[in-house]
Amino acid sequence: MILGAFDGGGTVLLIVIGLLLVVRIGIGTVRSRRRQGPRPDDAEASARATPPLPEAATLRRDRRDQHRAASASDVLYVDDLVVAYGSKRAVEGLSFEIGQGEIFGLLGPNGAGKTSTLSAIEGLVRPQAGTVLVDGIEVERHPTEARAKLGVQLQATSFQSELTIAQIVRLYAGLYGLALSDEEIGAGLQSIGLGSHASREFKQLSGGQQQRLSLYIALIHGPVLLLLDEPTTGLDPQARRQFWSRIEHIRDGGGSILLTTHSMEEAQAVCDRVAIVDHGRLLATGAPRALVEEHRDDPLVREAAHGDVTLEDVFIGLTGGEIRD
Amino acid sequence: MTSAAVVSPAQSPAPSPVDILRSLLRADFAVLVKNRRSLILSILLPIALLLVTNNARGENRLGGSLLVVGVCITYGLVSTSIMGYALSVARDREKGVFQRLRVTPAPTWTIMASRLAVQSVANLVIALVVAVVGGRIHHLHLSAEQYLLVLAASLLSGAVFLAIGQALVGLVRSADSVNSAGRILYLCLVFLGLLGLEGSLGATMQSVALWSPVGVTMSLYAGVLDLSRWSSHDTLSVVACAGYVVAGAALGIRWFRWDAR
Repeated sequence: MILGAFDGGGTVLLIVIGLLLVVRIGIGTVRSRRRQGPRPDDAEASARATPPLPEAATLRRDRRDQHRAASASDVLYVDDLVVAYGSKRAVEGLSFEIGQGEIFGLLGPNGAGKTSTLSAIEGLVRPQAGTVLVDGIEVERHPTEARAKLGVQLQATSFQSELTIAQIVRLYAGLYGLALSDEEIGAGLQSIGLGSHASREFKQLSGGQQQRLSLYIALIHGPVLLLLDEPTTGLDPQARRQFWSRIEHIRDGGGSILLTTHSMEEAQAVCDRVAIVDHGRLLATGAPRALVEEHRDDPLVREAAHGDVTLEDVFIGLTGGEIRD
Repeated sequence: MTSAAVVSPAQSPAPSPVDILRSLLRADFAVLVKNRRSLILSILLPIALLLVTNNARGENRLGGSLLVVGVCITYGLVSTSIMGYALSVARDREKGVFQRLRVTPAPTWTIMASRLAVQSVANLVIALVVAVVGGRIHHLHLSAEQYLLVLAASLLSGAVFLAIGQALVGLVRSADSVNSAGRILYLCLVFLGLLGLEGSLGATMQSVALWSPVGVTMSLYAGVLDLSRWSSHDTLSVVACAGYVVAGAALGIRWFRWDAR
């Protein structure tokens, strides 16, 4: 039927349609430019080839062999984890565990494998080898059930910009099977000082407010383990201190937290134990103070130190001083 | 080594996919309502086209008033699916919205199914509005059956352009590139439909246009708006629509990345 429908010519009609299209596309372009938000950081964008380890690190390569079996008290158990992207290994035989009521810091330079490790724990990447148990549930076999036990705050948190704060809370509660009333949402937002912001959009909040909301949403279903990926990046000192108080409060209530950070000050301030990783391998693990004591006389650490040895000096000594992309 | 501490997921079940889908749909509908300006823009072009063809000459150029309505609905769907859906998915991917959703218990299929379902509703709204306004402007008296057939056809033709939008966002990673490629694709599809079908680009291009996504959906609307003239070509157009849906979805699913990095 459509054949022969067009009887030729129609130049005027086509010009009118062309003008309409130009207007439509022009408006679309302006709207698109207005809506472009900040791009996510490029940290750990891709897996890296595995260069030789620093000498001090090589001495500790056998640590994974000593990793104990999982116990019922482990909230997170990672054993001999290998994550690879093609031929490149981002995580190579990483092992650690987190107990209840513990804040565990995963420290490493850019490209060390922190985000890949978190992705494996979140079930977003399939490990080539190894075991990840979240509260006893194998993530690889039951990713959905494991994720139901996790609370996650990503490095660059972004919620749908068109939704209000209350709608975002309702959405994420619903994704964990919770049906919250307006009153419950209001009370929850009140508890984090955002009671009067329920009808605002996420992008209208300050950095500290966004961070508080992200943490609140990560905790909304009472997870057994909270994953925080560089949560204080970009926050001012006041907001950062406030955040530390909040996660210490969670820990004191029996919550467990896995935190990645570039801030050694943060790790030293809030973490019960830390693991220093580089090139996907575990270099050292222990309480921050104990690590400083253990490595105080390490020549590479001494070389990095300016005065008293700090956790940052240990970190630089173990991972090397070269700048990572 | 670890078996002693491994527990069965039955002891701590995840929320049901139905509950999850309900939450996602509620949020995506809220986004659709918030973005109603985009929906209105997608309706404006077909309405304008209906207005400029509101005379005997214009109708004849486009093959009669019934066909004008079909052409206008098609362009509305092209606009909202390729300029709207693909760009919103690319933008949310770049901002990390999908990554945030993926670390919840929501299965990935529910995230995309919700988006597609809401976009399909938007497509139906566009089709209905254009059909009603088109009927008024062009003095058509469409029956309830014709409206129902238009809606059914809109589900299929909307799926064609959503599949193309999905393929676009699967093959192109950055939102900027999706925006640029989407606009080029949009212009190509619209002008291929008009110029190609009209025959001013030659017989070969006319055949290409006839079996292009725009061509087959125009045929589909022409067929359902005047069932008495339904032909084997219209039946083949339905098959071609299904083919475009399958091909676009295959490309869009196979190459889609949840993370823009």
